[in-house]
Amino acid sequence: MLDPQTVKQWRRFRSIKRGYWSALVLFTLVALSMIAELLVNSRALVVSYEGDWYFPTYGRIIPGETFGLDYDYETNYRELQQKFKEDGSGNWVLMPLVPFNPFENDLRTDKFPPYAPSLETQHYLGTDSTGRDIVARLVYGFRIAMGFAAVLLVCSYAAGIIVGCAMGYWGGVFDLLFQRLIEIWNTIPFLYVIMIVASVVIPSFWTLVTVMVIFGWTTMTWNMRTSTYKEKAREYVNAARALGANNSRVIGIHILPNTISVIVTFIPFSIASGIASLTALDYLGFGLPPPTPSWGELLSQGTENLESVWIVSSVGIAIVAVLLMVTYIGEAIREAFDPKKFTYYE
Amino acid sequence: MKSLNRFFLTLTLIGLLLVFLGGCGGDGPPTEESAELAQPNETDEIEETIYVELPPITVKEGDGLPLELPPDLVWLTNNEDPEYASPNAIRGGVFRTWILSFPLTLRLVGPDSNGSFAGFTRANQLGPVSHHPQTGRPIPMLATHWAFGEDGRSIFYRINPEARWSDGFPVTADDFVFSLQFHRSEEIVAPWYNNYFTERIRDIKKYDMLTYGVQGADAKPQEEMHYFYGIGPKPAHFHKMSNNWVSEYNWKPQPTTGPYHIGEVDKGDFIDLDRTEDWWGDDMRYMRYRFNPDTIRIRVIRDVNAAWQHFLKGEIDTFGVTIPEYWHDKTQHEVFEKGYVGKYWFYNQLPLASSGVYLNTADPLLSDMNIRLGIAHSLNFKRLIETILRGDYERMETFQLGFGEYDNTSIKPREFDLKKAKEYYEAAGFNERDAQGIRIRKGENGQTTRLAFRVTYGNPQHTDRLVVLKEEAKKAGLELQLQLLDSAASFKQMLEKKHQMAWMAWASSGVAPRYWEHFHSDNAFVTQTNNITNHANPEMDTFIMQFRASADRAERVRLAHHLEQMVHDSAVMIPRTKAPFSRDAAWRWIELPEWLGTRSSTSLFNSQPPSGMYSGGGLFWINEEKKAKILEAKRNGETLPALEVIDRTYRL
Repeated sequence: MLDPQTVKQWRRFRSIKRGYWSALVLFTLVALSMIAELLVNSRALVVSYEGDWYFPTYGRIIPGETFGLDYDYETNYRELQQKFKEDGSGNWVLMPLVPFNPFENDLRTDKFPPYAPSLETQHYLGTDSTGRDIVARLVYGFRIAMGFAAVLLVCSYAAGIIVGCAMGYWGGVFDLLFQRLIEIWNTIPFLYVIMIVASVVIPSFWTLVTVMVIFGWTTMTWNMRTSTYKEKAREYVNAARALGANNSRVIGIHILPNTISVIVTFIPFSIASGIASLTALDYLGFGLPPPTPSWGELLSQGTENLESVWIVSSVGIAIVAVLLMVTYIGEAIREAFDPKKFTYYE
Repeated sequence: MKSLNRFFLTLTLIGLLLVFLGGCGGDGPPTEESAELAQPNETDEIEETIYVELPPITVKEGDGLPLELPPDLVWLTNNEDPEYASPNAIRGGVFRTWILSFPLTLRLVGPDSNGSFAGFTRANQLGPVSHHPQTGRPIPMLATHWAFGEDGRSIFYRINPEARWSDGFPVTADDFVFSLQFHRSEEIVAPWYNNYFTERIRDIKKYDMLTYGVQGADAKPQEEMHYFYGIGPKPAHFHKMSNNWVSEYNWKPQPTTGPYHIGEVDKGDFIDLDRTEDWWGDDMRYMRYRFNPDTIRIRVIRDVNAAWQHFLKGEIDTFGVTIPEYWHDKTQHEVFEKGYVGKYWFYNQLPLASSGVYLNTADPLLSDMNIRLGIAHSLNFKRLIETILRGDYERMETFQLGFGEYDNTSIKPREFDLKKAKEYYEAAGFNERDAQGIRIRKGENGQTTRLAFRVTYGNPQHTDRLVVLKEEAKKAGLELQLQLLDSAASFKQMLEKKHQMAWMAWASSGVAPRYWEHFHSDNAFVTQTNNITNHANPEMDTFIMQFRASADRAERVRLAHHLEQMVHDSAVMIPRTKAPFSRDAAWRWIELPEWLGTRSSTSLFNSQPPSGMYSGGGLFWINEEKKAKILEAKRNGETLPALEVIDRTYRL
């Protein structure tokens, strides 16, 4: 059975429609992006060739020779589909909704990219300046941004919570020392560090996460420190101690669960800032290396090609929508966990 | 426990103290002392200026020009080549152009003097001769005649008695002697010049007021002598050398010998170049009808897009539109369609940048000839040119190109060919493909090697091009990992030879190609040299040394052809693309000769007397009558016939 407190909070969360619906939509999007290969991909879902069925989506590439084509590199399934249709052999190809992957350049010799949105070419939001499908870039970029924000969140919260709890729990000189250390640490200009790192190595997903965790974990410590201080003074902590619980048990089993509302309310805002910072870094060119699909890179292409308005508008709307949804969720959670019941929302 | 606490307390106190002290130094209100320190310029002026006489020219043993002018010199000149400016040119008007940032100094040498503005000022400091933009032969500038010494490395000049500095002083042999002293002096704080004028230029001697000689370090073919040893003068009457020369002359423009001198300067906003009144060169054969505007106003506009907007409004007269995006897309604008602004696409013949993919043979895989050949056949430049580059650019054929006879035109670059690539990769043992379709090689101990390489590059605008090549290379089973670094960092990595494949273009200039710095084994496997392929071939070394030493043109041409073939055969460099043209947009009141430009025009609207080694600039003029008409038409929204010129006269 669920804790009645949790049930209450959940009810309250549901009652805030804006946040609730945002959460539903966002979770659906994340779930869909997990199976993006089945929805947006240049590989076919199913190929029926000479009585055999092939499922190329996951796993090894299938060379063109397999389907009677004259090359040994990966099959171009869109062309294959066309070919099967024309020769009427009974073979068929089932393509995903958007038949492009985020890396391939769908270039024509009669016209130069960026191409405008078109139902006929199946570039529903058009292409970028090298002929890559914008839907595909958006979807895979979304997945990477969400993944990045999630990993960043887990890592920096882990560090922040541990240090923050320790500061609040032990207090005294330990607290003082760490407070000063964190203050000094915070003065290091984070963007410069990223720029230096990016000029020396190719910033990979993990180097970016590492650098951002190293400079981002401190935010959480302040909140955790305060709430631990507060909880530590409560009777139940004294009781646990009197029963002989050791420090890690007191912190882990007793204090931490009681500070959970602080942590949870911060999560959506951290996710939003994670997405925003990755996008900003990519926009400035210090983010993930090309040709990784990324919103920031699309945004910078869009602002450079303002006359191809579909680039900047699709990515702009996508960013605003996602950040808004995350923020609505954040507001709703904060509301739901708020012990004071009468608020603006009712 | 207590002692530990005390220890921590002490530590904290020390830490706090440090933070506190640090805070004071950085952010505290400035005391009188620190306020003074914060203004280094003022303290500089307080330092006493000590004027110095530059020491006489010292000559190393084995160097030195003869004391008397050799009597058997054959004096040459060139008054036969065709003129290339239009007699229809109209004098007058203000030509408005722009630069991205205001120069940090108006000096021509010393700290911060290498900005983009230097192009305007240096071009107006003429040399003794320049080169004809069509024939490539020397033409008189400050000197009327020249003669070559017997040692193959000396050259003598006779100065035009009419030649004047823009402040009225005559140009004399003393100014050339002073030029060497000046460039060798430490007061100018320019180590590169100090070194060049000590190591490469060995002696300058005055024979009379209008005759002098120069001696360089090595013998050169006569056609290259002016380029390497024909240094320009410095006004001896103007420069007073001192320990404060750099700051004293920061905003004191040096008089010029060319048609323009610096006029009004509004710091941070604009600089005017004014036509020198009764310029001494006005009636000279190769100078007349050129440099027509009275003033060239160079405005500072800190953003290219903003500058483009200024141009569309007619506040700037011309704009370079070579980039495909500009030529094709941004010019789809009313002012072009209504015929107020014209577009000019002009092919030229100039040394082309050696743009290519340079393979580092120090890499174990890339040391394999088969893999290098495979890579060359896996890069689909044809598709790149046809799509992203919009068919404007062409495939570069060889390492160096654009040197006329020296070019080896029999070489054709290796084309994208999956069959050939497959053969070469299989010969290198890459027989299988992994799950992503990239070729792999299975070693004896079961370890697998993937056919994947880093491509290092420093220009974010080239990502588009590399993305296309990357996708196409996958078909051949080759993976390109794009490594975009900032331009300085990427160049550093290449010079340290830490790259695998370098996406790089070397600037070219001069009259003949150069091989020693890029392919000689002396420069291989050592850092900070231009041999970024680590190519080392003793046979090639001998040819390179012969090429360097030879002063005979026919032999040099033959050697250059052979060397170029060897570069091609080694497959260490895959030629990329070339753009052998310039594209400009200009308001229609800016007019050009019928023939638009010359074989070596870098831009049709270049106002500079010599740019690089040729003197071909300043052919355009401003037609004020037409300007009034066009502005009138623009106000009334009338449509004039549009103008788009594509001139292929000099297309190879």
